[in-house]
Amino acid sequence: MSANREKLLRVEDLVLHFRTTVGTVQAVDGINFDLDYNRAVVILGESGCGKSSLAKAILRLLPRNVGAYSGKVYLGGSDVMALSDEEFRQNVRWVGISMVPQAAMNSLNPVIRVGDQVAEPAMIHMGVKKEEAMKLARQMFEHVGVPEDFLVRYPFELSGGMRQRAAIAMALVTAPNLIILDEPTSALDLLTQANIFNVLKRIKKELGTSFILITHDIATSSELADEVAVMYAGQIVETGEAKDFFPAPLHPYAQMLMASVPRLRADQDPEFITGQPPSLINLPPSCRFAPRCPKRRDRCEQDPPIIEKDGRKVKCWLYA
Amino acid sequence: MSEENQPQPASLERVLARKRAADTFKRVARYSAVRLVTLFLTIVVAIFLTIVIANMGGYVDEIRRGEIRENFNQQAAMNPAIRNLSVEERRQWVEERVRIEEERQGLNKPFMVRTIAYMSNALTLNLGRSMHLTSDSGSRTVRLILLERLPSTLVLFGTANILLFFFDLYVALYLSRRYGSFLDKLVITLAPLNSAPGWFYGIFLILIFAAILKILPFGGMVDTPPPSEPLRYALSMMKHMILPMLALALSSVFLAVYSQRTFFLIYSSEDYVEMAKAKGLTSRDIERRYILRPTLPTIITNFALGLITVWTGAPIFETIFQWPGLGRQLFEAIGLYDIPIIVGETVIFSYLLAITVFLLDFIYALVDPRVKVGGQGGAPS
Repeated sequence: MSANREKLLRVEDLVLHFRTTVGTVQAVDGINFDLDYNRAVVILGESGCGKSSLAKAILRLLPRNVGAYSGKVYLGGSDVMALSDEEFRQNVRWVGISMVPQAAMNSLNPVIRVGDQVAEPAMIHMGVKKEEAMKLARQMFEHVGVPEDFLVRYPFELSGGMRQRAAIAMALVTAPNLIILDEPTSALDLLTQANIFNVLKRIKKELGTSFILITHDIATSSELADEVAVMYAGQIVETGEAKDFFPAPLHPYAQMLMASVPRLRADQDPEFITGQPPSLINLPPSCRFAPRCPKRRDRCEQDPPIIEKDGRKVKCWLYA
Repeated sequence: MSEENQPQPASLERVLARKRAADTFKRVARYSAVRLVTLFLTIVVAIFLTIVIANMGGYVDEIRRGEIRENFNQQAAMNPAIRNLSVEERRQWVEERVRIEEERQGLNKPFMVRTIAYMSNALTLNLGRSMHLTSDSGSRTVRLILLERLPSTLVLFGTANILLFFFDLYVALYLSRRYGSFLDKLVITLAPLNSAPGWFYGIFLILIFAAILKILPFGGMVDTPPPSEPLRYALSMMKHMILPMLALALSSVFLAVYSQRTFFLIYSSEDYVEMAKAKGLTSRDIERRYILRPTLPTIITNFALGLITVWTGAPIFETIFQWPGLGRQLFEAIGLYDIPIIVGETVIFSYLLAITVFLLDFIYALVDPRVKVGGQGGAPS
């Protein structure tokens, strides 16, 4: 393989703002990152930092109050932002990228059998007949470890963990290269979480799928992650390989985020990040983390550039 | 050993399946029985109250007794054979006939006995004979009088309700897609028009289109004399239906569209709708399978309850438009204290309402897998 071949996904200057009555919410504000085939990137960040909006911006799932939506998203080398809505629906949604939603409880239609919902994307995008699609759905159920007879059940007859697995099966059925997982385990108990992550790891190994994993659960995500991106106030403040990031994060916010995770073996109390995450309306021109940052200096009044350090990228004046 | 055992699980399965089917049947049967009894009790209470109220607590019966006495007094005065009898004999003649007539009509019995007798007749659809109103063919049988008026009510309100129902649904879906557009805001602005009843708009529509512009008839169901050709008859009827339907539409359409569009908006922000969008479904499929399908129970309820109101007609509305339907009949019957007609209409309406409610329970269970008739409800896991 040539060294300069196209990456699976490249996001450039992605912007998604929402209009509200109190001002413009800058939920996704100039995001850059890329992801290669068969890799998993974890996007970490507090609630309300724009993680889920990033997922929606990539899949063009826009609410009615969109203010600004711009930037470039290259999927396998072609710019999907330039596609019309209909082309995007036919060629990107569930063909190139599929998604596992945050609350699988509510993301299954309550009045349609689970199997039909899992088979649906195959019928739309692969042009296969219903029996064929159901066969695929059965295979996917096997992959994620849901008993076959659940195909004919309704969502309310499934437990939370089973529904989440069904949602993963649904994402897999068209065999996309990329799956966006939006907090796939946040509503589940620890044992089920571990099970789901085992399923994801196996899928990655067997099918070569790439994942964008959006979560605030640092501990479980570290099992799956190849790369890490830390989001703060609508921007990515640090990216790097997981094996470099987890032992020694660079950005002060990332350091504090890691320090807030309780550790089982080390005798160390978790620390807290003081203050509130900023509202995404009327953000200051300074570094967005500056008001809460313990290492703040005068220079932080200006927006820091992205600085490369040992193959890692960090948006902080400390490393300039 | 294992070969011998093999058929056993299969037969066990069959036994279990049969038992489950029997359980389901028992559950549904018990539920239906309980439901039917409660609905019947509702009907009994409704009709009992109607009879007591329509009779004004027995006062109308007093009026009827007075009328009977008056009638025989007049007969006595008019009849030369009796006019010439002595005062005492004449009084006896009248008393005798009044007694027989009151006995015949059951007016000599105590109030409660009378009421319960009326009620059991009404419940068995033995609607009796009217006191004053007659059918066009001169019959006083309440059933005939009501049946004669029923078709015209059904034609007007049935057509209007079915057209409005599908129109509302279509426009509401359209507006839920174009939330915040000019048309959307216009519908919201006009929604308070619903606060006035249809006949109120009817008066103005008659004034404008019949009195001033003279392009549509003032009222009635067909031209006088009625055209003999069926096609002409239908056309004439349609012409007479324009204003009533317009009045009904003005008083209902904006609020109905507004509320249904809001309902669809709420349902289209469900997670599974966004998921369907992410899955790359066409917006037509999303609307059909992910918005309309889950809301079907509510839509069916709206439709069914709309149909029930069709049966009753609307007394004032039909009177304004001189529409010869059940509603206007009821209006006339109330004016004349014609209890059998009032009670008859109430009985038919109560039965229809009860049947609709009973059927709705089962339709829910058919269209919504989460609803289980007679079950404990909830997920098994």
